[in-house]
Amino acid sequence: MVLRKTALGAAAVIAVAALALAGCSGSPKGQTSGPSELTLDLNHLAATTPTGTTPVDQVKWNLPYEPSLIDPIFTWNYAENTVTANMCESLVRLKPDLSQEPGLASKVEQPDDTTVIYTIREGVTFWDGNPLTAEDVAFSLQRQIGPDTKSYWADYFHNVASAEATGPLQVTVKLSKPDVLFTQAMGSAAGAIVEKAAVEAGGQAFGTPKGGLQCTGPYKLGAWDSGKSLTMDRNDAYWDSSVKPKVKQISFSFIADESTAINALRTGDVDGQFFYLPPAGLSQLQKSSNVTTTFGKSFVFWTLAAINKDGAMGDEKIRQALSLAIDRTALTKVVFQGAGIPAPTLAGPDMWGYGKDQFSSAYKKFGVAPDLEKAKKLVEEAGSPKTPIVLAVQGSSAVHEQTASVIQAAGQAIGLNVQTKVIPVEQFGNLYFDQTARKGLDGFFTTNYGDFADPLNVYSFFQSGNSHDYIGWDSADADIAKALQTSDDTARAKLVVGIQDKVTQGLPWIPLAYEPTTLIQNKRISGAVPSFAYLYSPWAVTIGGTK
Amino acid sequence: MSFASYLLRRIGGLLLVLLVTSFLVFGLLYLAPGSPLAFILGPRGGSAAQIAAVTAQYHLNDPFVVRYIAWLGDVLHGDLGRSIVYRQPVADLLASRAGTTTALVALAAVIIAVVGIIAGTIAALRGGWVDQVVSTLSAIGLSTPVFVVGVALISLFAVGLGWFPTFGVGSGGLDTLWHLILPAIALSVASAAYLARITRAAVNEERGREHVQTATVRGLAPGLIVRRHVLRNSLIPITTVLGLTVATLIAGAVVVENVFALDGLGSLLVKAILQRDFAVVQAVVLVLVVAFVVVNAVVDVLYTFIDPRITLGSKR
Repeated sequence: MVLRKTALGAAAVIAVAALALAGCSGSPKGQTSGPSELTLDLNHLAATTPTGTTPVDQVKWNLPYEPSLIDPIFTWNYAENTVTANMCESLVRLKPDLSQEPGLASKVEQPDDTTVIYTIREGVTFWDGNPLTAEDVAFSLQRQIGPDTKSYWADYFHNVASAEATGPLQVTVKLSKPDVLFTQAMGSAAGAIVEKAAVEAGGQAFGTPKGGLQCTGPYKLGAWDSGKSLTMDRNDAYWDSSVKPKVKQISFSFIADESTAINALRTGDVDGQFFYLPPAGLSQLQKSSNVTTTFGKSFVFWTLAAINKDGAMGDEKIRQALSLAIDRTALTKVVFQGAGIPAPTLAGPDMWGYGKDQFSSAYKKFGVAPDLEKAKKLVEEAGSPKTPIVLAVQGSSAVHEQTASVIQAAGQAIGLNVQTKVIPVEQFGNLYFDQTARKGLDGFFTTNYGDFADPLNVYSFFQSGNSHDYIGWDSADADIAKALQTSDDTARAKLVVGIQDKVTQGLPWIPLAYEPTTLIQNKRISGAVPSFAYLYSPWAVTIGGTK
Repeated sequence: MSFASYLLRRIGGLLLVLLVTSFLVFGLLYLAPGSPLAFILGPRGGSAAQIAAVTAQYHLNDPFVVRYIAWLGDVLHGDLGRSIVYRQPVADLLASRAGTTTALVALAAVIIAVVGIIAGTIAALRGGWVDQVVSTLSAIGLSTPVFVVGVALISLFAVGLGWFPTFGVGSGGLDTLWHLILPAIALSVASAAYLARITRAAVNEERGREHVQTATVRGLAPGLIVRRHVLRNSLIPITTVLGLTVATLIAGAVVVENVFALDGLGSLLVKAILQRDFAVVQAVVLVLVVAFVVVNAVVDVLYTFIDPRITLGSKR
């Protein structure tokens, strides 16, 4: 089982450091002797692939593991959301370019800071033919409100006091205090709408292979054969007549073993897959004449989180020194085979959904070039601690192990003793919230992402009390609280730039790399959305045959 | 001993073994560090209050004996419990995976029996270079990890030649058979090699026996001697080894299941152990124990056909 934040999947050992590139969206550096290197340009990541033109009966798609549940409130992970994105629509829709547009709510109004009025689109029906009502919308939100909710998205509903149907097609959400993240989160699966009657009838089974699902999307749940496959069929009664999916059925397989998945892609046994980290066999795929590889815009980043306040990593100077000693350019080249971008900050350029100029000029002052002299000085200032820094490494993950080696080397260069401890995949997820699981560890690696294009989404992790703030870092509390209540984009951007400075200075998490989405498609099809939007909005409606 | 009383004794023994293993497995799992919390709370984790509420709801902190007795009570009522991770009844999880495992193990068993017995017999009877070749091949088969065999088979027959699919169980019937051929071969290589060695040794031993020499001296046809006197008598050790091998394949197929992305009981068990999904672990272990005992009982019954002097339940 995979947790969304864990860098699972990168299983086998990466044999090559650099690789030959035959890709489409990366720009190859000079073709010198030997294998050329894949380097990605943040400005040229893809948002779309050419729309497929001919009808296709079935597309076989692979997921890195079987979803555990597909009720949207229990989906906050790669495989689950890859599936629900095509079936359960949200109030707001995430576009392939990662901006947002109206979804099931045709209009969103905010008469004041604590009131949001959603006007529900007319003429939308669930797969069973029942019309979408304000009751369904209110219900879908209500089940995520309050201290007792089991929703994985509960964080976004902290400041929601109520959600009530205030008209046949109108839902009013009352916030207990202004929260700019809530309205944006309605563009993720947190804002996905399910049919009230179906949830109540399904009870505990809703969203499991037995209980089914009832949503409004362009694809409906077909059969879910636990352990084998999950199929979804085209919803021919889809409300948006401008959307005409060409693929009749999409069948998901659950190949967890990465080399098996790569082989299945190469032979055409499966037609496509999204990888959130580049697979170890990326070079094999790029050499294959059967598939195309696309690198898409993404919110995903790779980071080292400090988790022990009392250990060496609890010292800001040590974190700064370690960060300065890491060669991020080498890291992306070796560990991510070039399919990664060295990250000086946690939230990358794809997350700048507003105030682009402000974020862009603020970004320019950060660099990724290592500075060993300065790092050594910082270690000295911190009293040259001799206690080892123990980093948790996820079992059977090449990306984890190799990153740990890079950090170990960096630590050695500046006189820090960095050690690693392997934690099995299945237990790794407990590190995120279980104090006892973190005992004896100073840091762990994680892939993480924001759910919409607002850097505040990521930086709000570091408001003290947030479950992501493992070392009680609190230097930006007041700014974060203020930014969360600032709805004016320019004013908020200014605040968030300030928060970004503080977080990048204090390094409760050390940024390492931005990870574009890797989309593999068989050449017989084209059109899947290669950007991060594949997790929250229909990515398969543009797929079609190429012949 | 009559068949009925044999069956009764077997079932009694089975129940006892089930009780002891379930207690041991439950206890060991309980002692091991780690918890299924991450899978209940989801990736975002939870506040201290939520963790406490979930811990209480799933009885994660109850004493071992209380949890075990509660589980045992449910099982006696025919309820295998619910999986914490999959949020489904365990029985559903088992049902959908048992078929794959059964088909895979059955196919592998056939391959092991056919290849192992034929290769071993030929090696023993022909001797010379044939014996050398079989011995060498079986040494290679025994020492090559299943994982390597699986990957090699995929590279060659699925990716290279395109004769077989790279993964999965297909859509039932012949399609499933076609899908399972490579995994079954990968699964059976080591066991077939082992069985070939056992067969070769057994056949060689029987050939030296007095009644075989007598038959040879009396001028009986060599084919008849091999079939009736050598092979038939060798079948006892062969059947024993085959039975044990097949029983261990059920749980031992994990690696093959991962390489070929099959949904079998083996990988379900390993995942459940690491996720501390108690109900699933217990249920799979029970199924494995039952399968083991059943296979052994079948071997017992086979003995009586192979050698009429052996009666059910006797200790030969």
